[in-house]
Formats: sequence, C-alpha cells, structure tokens
Amino acid sequence: MSEENQSSSQLSNAEPTATRSTVPMWIIVVTLLLAFFGFVYFDKHSGWFDATVYAPYGTADQLANSQPVSDAAKMLIVGRKNFETFCGACHGMDGMGKVGQFPPLAGSEIVNAKGFHRLCFIPLEGLNGTIKVKGQEWSLNMAAMGAALPDADLAAVITYIRSSWGNKASEVSADDIKAIRAEIKTPAQIQGPSLMSIPE
Amino acid sequence: MKSGFGVFFAVAVTLSLSWLGFVVAPAVQLGSAKQTTVLISGDTWPQQRTGEATLGQQIYRANGCVACHTTQMRQDGIICDVVLAKPGKNPVAVTNLLSTLKLSGLTKDQADEVSQQISDKGGTAETHISATGPDIKNDWGVRRSVAADFLYDAPVQLGNLRAGPDLANIGARSASSLLMQHLYAPRSINQASTMPSYKFLFDVQKIGDAPSPDALKDLPKDAAPADGFEVVPKPEAKQLVAYLLSLHADVPLYEAPFTPAAPKP
Amino acid sequence: MNPADTNQDCSAKIDASCRVPLLVLFNGAALWLVLGLALSLFASLTFHAPEQFSCCPYMTYGHAVAAASDLLVYGFVIPAALGVMLWIFARLSQDKLELPLVVFLAGHLWHLGVFVGTVGILTGHSTGYQWLEYPRAADALLGVAFVLIAISAFATFGLRKERELYPSHWFLLAALLVFPWIYSSANVFIVTNHPVRGVGQAVINWWFANNLIFVWLALAGLGIAFYFLPKIANRPLHSRFWALFAFWTLLLFGTWLGIPAGAPVPAWLPAASQFASLLMIVPIVATAVILKNILWGANVKCFGGTYCYIRFGSVMFVVSALMLVAAGCPDFSRTVEFTWFGTAQAQLQILGFATMILAGAIYEIIPRTMGTALPFEKFKTLQFFASVLGVLLLVISLAVAGIAQGKSNFASGAGKIALMVSTTGWLFLLLGSLSLLLNILVMTMKWKLGLAKSAWAAITAPLADSEVKS
Repeated sequence: MSEENQSSSQLSNAEPTATRSTVPMWIIVVTLLLAFFGFVYFDKHSGWFDATVYAPYGTADQLANSQPVSDAAKMLIVGRKNFETFCGACHGMDGMGKVGQFPPLAGSEIVNAKGFHRLCFIPLEGLNGTIKVKGQEWSLNMAAMGAALPDADLAAVITYIRSSWGNKASEVSADDIKAIRAEIKTPAQIQGPSLMSIPE
Repeated sequence: MKSGFGVFFAVAVTLSLSWLGFVVAPAVQLGSAKQTTVLISGDTWPQQRTGEATLGQQIYRANGCVACHTTQMRQDGIICDVVLAKPGKNPVAVTNLLSTLKLSGLTKDQADEVSQQISDKGGTAETHISATGPDIKNDWGVRRSVAADFLYDAPVQLGNLRAGPDLANIGARSASSLLMQHLYAPRSINQASTMPSYKFLFDVQKIGDAPSPDALKDLPKDAAPADGFEVVPKPEAKQLVAYLLSLHADVPLYEAPFTPAAPKP
Repeated sequence: MNPADTNQDCSAKIDASCRVPLLVLFNGAALWLVLGLALSLFASLTFHAPEQFSCCPYMTYGHAVAAASDLLVYGFVIPAALGVMLWIFARLSQDKLELPLVVFLAGHLWHLGVFVGTVGILTGHSTGYQWLEYPRAADALLGVAFVLIAISAFATFGLRKERELYPSHWFLLAALLVFPWIYSSANVFIVTNHPVRGVGQAVINWWFANNLIFVWLALAGLGIAFYFLPKIANRPLHSRFWALFAFWTLLLFGTWLGIPAGAPVPAWLPAASQFASLLMIVPIVATAVILKNILWGANVKCFGGTYCYIRFGSVMFVVSALMLVAAGCPDFSRTVEFTWFGTAQAQLQILGFATMILAGAIYEIIPRTMGTALPFEKFKTLQFFASVLGVLLLVISLAVAGIAQGKSNFASGAGKIALMVSTTGWLFLLLGSLSLLLNILVMTMKWKLGLAKSAWAAITAPLADSEVKS
C-alpha cells in the first residue's frame, strides 16, 4: 500500500475538523471596494431597469438622444409640445374638447378640410359666436391663441392637429402660415356665421 | 452556522434574490412584451411567421443548429453622418461652411453641433445614424438584436458558440437557393466549412418528364448528383429554409435606432 | 452504532451501509462518463472530416454535442456527487446511511431519466435550451430521483451525533437545496408548453445554466474537497470562518453570473451579471486562501492517488472561476464572447474540477464500502495522468482558439491545430475514464458473484435433520 493509502486508512476514524481563525479585515475591505466600483459601473451601464435601454446605451436619455428624427417627425414633436401648451387646456390633450364649452378637434370637418386655409385663420384671429362642428352647435369665444406664435411653430401645431387622433389631413408649412398672415390686414375676431365664408 | 436551518436560510435568501432578479423580473418585464413599432415607417414588429417557418423553427431545434450558430447580434455604439437636406436661403454660405466641417464618423453630440451650425446658416441638415460593432463589421446585420425580435419564438435559441456565422439577420442577406445548397453541401459554398452536410433533408431522385421546380440548381461537380438525377428538398428542408429566411433584424426600433435607407422609388 | 463497537468497526459499518446505494449511483455514473466522453470525442472528430461524419442523421454534431454535454453533467457529475455526498454525510454523522432502499430505487430512476433524455436528444426531441435539452419526461424522472436521494441525505444528516456542522455540511446541504429549486423553476418557466414569452426564456436558461454548471458544481465539489483534503493531509481546515465567508459570497455573488454582455436583453441584465462578476473575485480569493492553507506544506506523498485528484481538481476550480470572471470583464468579453473560450471554461469546470474531485473521491470510497482493494490499482494512477493531460490539452487549446477567434472577429474558425489538440485531449480523457468504469464494474461483478456463490452454497447445502419435516 502506498504511503498515502496507509495514512488515509489510519485516518479512517478521524473526521476532519476546522480551525476557528477569523477572516482578516483586508478581504472585507476588498469586498467593499469591489462593491463600490461595481455599483458605479451598474449605475452607468444598466439604464436602471428600463426595458428599452440596451447596451451600448447606458441611460434612457442617451437612447432618446440617439433616435433618428426625420423632418416630419421633428415637426410633430414641436407641434405636440406647442399644442399642449397653448391649445390643450381647452380643446383637450386628446383633441376631444369639453362638452358644452370647447368643440373637439378630433374628427372635426373644419380641421380635416382638404385645404388648410380656413383652419389657419382661427388661431390667428380668434372666433366668436356660434359654429357647427360634427353636427353640434358651439357658442364660444376663442382668443387669437396662435397670433403670437412664430410661423414655424404655428405650422407645426396645425400639422399636429391635422394628423392626430385619427385626423388625416395634409401638413402645413411655415411659408403657408406666412402667406396667410400676410392676408390679414387688420386682425379681427371671426364671427361665427361668417367662418364658413372663408375659403378652405 | 450551527444547524441545518442556518444553511437552509442562507440558500433561501441568496438564491431567492437571484431568482427574483433573473427569473421573476424578466418573466414579468420581458414576458409581458408586446409588438412594437418600427421607427419612421410605423409598421408593427415583429410580424408573425408563416406556418412553414414555424415548422422550420422546430427543425432548427431538433437538429441542434444552436450548437454552432448564434442568433444574437451585438453592437458597440452608433456613428453619425450629417447630410444636407435643404440648402435654404443661403446656399453659398452653407456650401462654404460644409467644406470646413467634418461630416462623417461623428458622435451624436458632434452631429447635433454640426446640424446646428448648418441651421444657423439657413440650411437644413439631417443626421444619419448607423450602428457599429464587430458583428456589424462582419456584414451579419445592421443593428443589434433586441427582445422584440424574438417575441414569437418558442424555443428561443440564441446560441452560445459561433462555430458558424451568426444567423440573426440571415433572412436579409441570403436567398432560398443559397441556403438549400448550403444545407446540402456546405463545402460547395465555403471550402473551409466544418458544417455537417444535411443530405438527409434532401432526396436524390430520377428526373421525371421535366425537372422539378424545387430541384437544386448549379451544384458544383463534386456535390452534383449523377446524370439524369436531381436533388430535391424534402418538406423539412423547405421548412428550415423558410425559417432561416424569416430571421430578420434589419428594421430600426426605438431600442436599436438607426436611420433606415430611403425606400426605393 | 453500538457503543461497544470500536472506531474501526463503526467506520466499517457505516461504509458497508452505503454499499448498495452507492454502487447503483457510481456504476451508472461511470458508464455515462465513458459514453459522454466517447460522444464528445466523436463530436470533436466531426470537425476534422465533416463530410465523412455526416452519414447518420442521429449523430450530427448538433445532436452529439448536446447529448455528450448532458451525459457528462447529468449522467456522471450529479449522481456521482450525490453518492459521495451520502457517504460523507454518513461519515460525518457517525451513523449508517438512512433509507438506503430509497436511494437504490432513486438511483435507478435517475439513470433511466438520463437514458430517456439521451435517446430523446439523439432522435431530435431536444428542447433547444442549453443544459436543459432533455425532453420533459426525462426531466420529471431526474427531478423525482434527486428529491428522493435528497430525502435520504437529509435523514442521515438529521440523525448526526456531532450537532455542530462541519463546513462540508453547508456546501453539500446547499447543493441539495439549490438543484431542486433551479431545476423546477427552469422546467416550470421554460421547458413547458407555455413558456415565458420571448427572450425571457433565454434569461431564465442562462440563470439555470450558471447556477447548475458554476454554482452547483462549486458547492458540490468544494464541499467534497473540504472534506477529503484535510482528512488525507491530516491537518484541520483553515478555517471555519474563511469557509463560511467563501460559502456566503459564492451564493450571494455566484448566482448572479451568466448573462452574456451582448445578449438581446435590456442593459440591466448583463450589467447585473458584470457587477456580480467583479464581486465574484472575493469568493475565489477566499477559496484560494483556504486551499493554499491546506495544500501548502501538507507533505502528502501522492502519485496518482486520491489526494492528487482532489488537489488538482480544487486548483482547477480557482482557474476556471477566474476564467469565468475574466470572460465577464466588459473588454475581454467583447473578444471571447461566443467563441470556444466559453466551451473551454465550461469543460474545465466540469472535467477539470468536478470530474477529477469526484473520481478521486469515488476511488477512495468504493474500496472502503466494498471492503476490498481496487482490482486495478495501477489504472487509477494512469487515469490521473491521462485525465490531467487530457484536461490541459482540451482546455488550453480551446481557450487559445477562442481568443484567436475573437481577435480575428470570427474570420477564422477554431483552427486545425487547436481542434486536433482538443480532440487528442478528449481521447486521453476517454481512456482515463475507462479505468474508473473497469474498476467499479469488476468490483461490482466480483461482489455479486461472491453473493451468488454463497447463495448457491446455502441453497444446495444438505439440510440439517431439524429442518426436514419428518
């Protein structure tokens, strides 16, 4: 029998034991340091559990900033922002208006008209009196909410209105707004019945 | 620990942490994923596979293709090019500006800066984003794979080893005839290939009145059948090829954005 | 044990009580080891002559490698580890093995499960999930068998005389608890008719694979090593608290590894794995300290004996764990991800660490339970050197091939030379494993023959007058 077998058979009755030396401090320090650096790495690279953030992006902001934006999409982003600031309070963020107070924009025949000409007058001059939207009569007073907006922004808002909530109408450019603005010699609130006499 | 209960406690606490983190949380977050929309075009993604392709996925699984092929593309980052979309009112100034600027190989921040400079001169610039990475450099795909690509897969076979190329986007870079030939005689396409030949997925049959429309064409001499015979794929081969052709990862998504190529007129 | 028994008798009784259950587990395990290595060798050979080896649809590379890998882990490592665990529990409890009949039945159930699973994979019924390729029927058999064996282990553990636990107890008990949890979770969430939707399946698959191949093997292997090494070297384990620290940190950090950096999953998953990889350095260091304290200056003369096996296996654990941590580093993972490096690390863990420790332990246990010496003592030594050579050839060649593959961005495959070296490695491993099978089979046959002979003698002995009815 080899030496090792001899020694192991001699040990066959003694089960192994363990000493009780304590774990030294340095390994605890190393653990804490590694935990710190690991956490910094996790903070930078994890996107904090966001389901859309994939490596190489580390945060949701980085991802949002890396989206390819076409001109049309850019316009809609600006349009939506401005709509929600200036128009959404009354016409609703969902374009549904408020019953008895503000007419809806979703599905409105004025918004969806083939030409945008008449529609653009409304924010530029304001509206007062009774108009008909989707078979219902609306008596209202609207200030010229878009008069102070630059051409590009107002164009974006109108484009956004004409392509949201199921509306499918053509877009409006800044130049178009400029041309319509030029038509207005003296701004005066449009009277309800005379709205439909403005060409589309 | 002095008792078995202490051990049980240690295991329960530690394993339940990773169980919650890597089993329950993904089951909830990824398991509840729905179809997403493709950037710019607005199509839904992913589209359901055809019946043939779904059967083909089971052929892929049964033959253990996952042992040598991965279906997960990686990505290191993005690179941006700035392109003039509209010269605007001051074309001369814009052209002069362009000649002084670096327009390709930019980071997103640099591209935004260049875009702004062009805007200031009255022009409109567009930033074209492309994905970069070693897998993309190999022409295996145009972006990384994301969870949405595997929404309808069962089983999801991402693979672990690339003894052969990655297949995440094989549908976009290959064709039926090429795939059939590769399955029948891999070395007729790539001499150094170590892929087994899946001849049992094909039948070598005598040419009847007219050659079968499915028959493999233009096989090189050492793989071609004898004169008067043709190689015809069995249904399993057609299903497998249909599955491979359904593997796409070539549309831009919110999670993996890039500027898609302009649609051909 | 009868207090009148001497220590020697007591040990012999404990060993004898383990005999039948362990023979069931070890015989099957040794057979599956040989078959698994043979299939792996075959799979490796297909790379050298792919056209010639394409004859049989059942034995394509995709089938062979999946069946071989599962044979090595489910066929050899797990039942062998369970057998060694039972013996260690009986020894540490200073009491005979409880419920040996349950283990006897469960062992057969387990081997049936492995058989069904292997045939399932080769006939195209693989589930497609790595390390879970066995069809559900096999999974059910394996799950039930494991729980039955665990019941026997817990019963033996519960009746221990010395109530304070020895470090091996923690590791091995943890192993008994971890496997049913991860196996049932994996089966419920993915190997079912309604798995988790989409890529969640892959995440759960990676979690299971890591917890089986890294954590479970580490728990079982280290538990066994921490029992045998101090025992053979005749020194105490240094120390209890280091082992406790290694145990807790292994469980806390090791269970979070496994998600590849380039995976098509939200960034928090690979980031969590990489965080855990960094922290994994701590239990590796702790294990290395414990091993160094046992092995350094142990003064055990060993030439292919059990101590050699277990010493080599333990050191290989540290190496393979370091490889795993390295593969988790963001920059290095970009190079070696999806290359042969991952295969090399997994095989080092399975063959270099677990198999070596288990083979050494089995060679120590089997003669004791049978009460006889090994029939082919020299083969044990040969197996040691063949296995060491095989492991080194296999792992180093595949690791280098993987790094080269990654650096060339998959322009080259593994390279002819690397593949040839790795095939040679498989060959040496296979030849070595034949020794274990031969030794166990011959001992079992001799014992059964002896039983048959004495039974025959008893049957054909002339009856005493008192036994015959007049």
